[in-house]
Amino acid sequence: MEPESTSTDVGAEVRAGARDAATTVVPSILAYGAVWGGLARQAGLSLGEIVAMCLLVSAGTAQFVALPMLTSGAPAALLVVTAYIVNLRHYLMAAGLAPYLTGLSRLRLALLAHGISDEAYALTLARFTRGPAHPGYFAGCAGVIYLAWYVGATAGALLGSRIPDPRRFGLDFVFPAVFIAILARELRARWQWLVAGVAATIALAVAWGVGGTWHIAVAGLAASTLGIFLAPANASAPSPAGGETPTEDAA
Amino acid sequence: MRPGLILTFAAMGVATYLTRAPLLLVLARRRLPGWLERYFAALPIALLTALALPLVLLPPGGPGPAWDAQLPGAILVAFLARRTGNLLVAVAAGVALVAALRVLIG
Repeated sequence: MEPESTSTDVGAEVRAGARDAATTVVPSILAYGAVWGGLARQAGLSLGEIVAMCLLVSAGTAQFVALPMLTSGAPAALLVVTAYIVNLRHYLMAAGLAPYLTGLSRLRLALLAHGISDEAYALTLARFTRGPAHPGYFAGCAGVIYLAWYVGATAGALLGSRIPDPRRFGLDFVFPAVFIAILARELRARWQWLVAGVAATIALAVAWGVGGTWHIAVAGLAASTLGIFLAPANASAPSPAGGETPTEDAA
Repeated sequence: MRPGLILTFAAMGVATYLTRAPLLLVLARRRLPGWLERYFAALPIALLTALALPLVLLPPGGPGPAWDAQLPGAILVAFLARRTGNLLVAVAAGVALVAALRVLIG
């Protein structure tokens, strides 16, 4: 972040984040939001309750996992604990973004933290590792992603069971495609390939054997320890303030 | 609206926020020791791999690995992303391939 950055710079970064999210993950988030809204309706939630849950929780996976529990009348404490466990992976994403978000006030960090999601994390990291690391970009990504989730869920709640299966349009593939595209672009050094290989092995074993979302946090935590021994000293050093030239990444 | 339910949702939101905020608040305001910096250098690669591969190789509904149109889609995305460096092109082509394969061979 450039200390002397003006408000127009912030606006441009926010717009860039919003645009990148809108052109990649948003169609899929709208579709899955609609699917979730339709299922939530079937689980007996009213339209108001559906909107309230989206605004209060703002976490797609946790909201999907909660629906069968709501239908079966699970106790509230179990719903809360499950939401926490499903979202444990966000600890790692917050830790990964933190080095790029220095020099911000506690209040701003606390607000930005709410925006952490798989998709916002992936897109932001892809940007920050190749160009200027401006918190506005993350805010733009996260804002559009949440907006799409709220709009999709509300539409789904209104349409009920008339939602087509997103798989028919390949939209289930958008999320892994974004993650794979970023990986394919970033993997260069041998130590990076090694980390990816170990993470893949652990993630597949845990996902197959245990299920749920455990594989993300477990493989992320474990495979990253390789970095301590293999990564070069300056590997994660985010570009210092103002030291970056404008990148070719604007396309 | 059932007040008890809204309260539960609010508590779920707090629980979720507690996974998002603490490390961002703590780590963004400190200079990290070298070993931790190297750990975090590897973290995005490990996380993105762990997010992506099970989605492609262990499609939902099956007990284990299964054929899915996402597999050729993933290969195309990786190839295009590496060749062009453009996320949008790679993702759009991959999604189009997956959708086309599902129409053609189900």
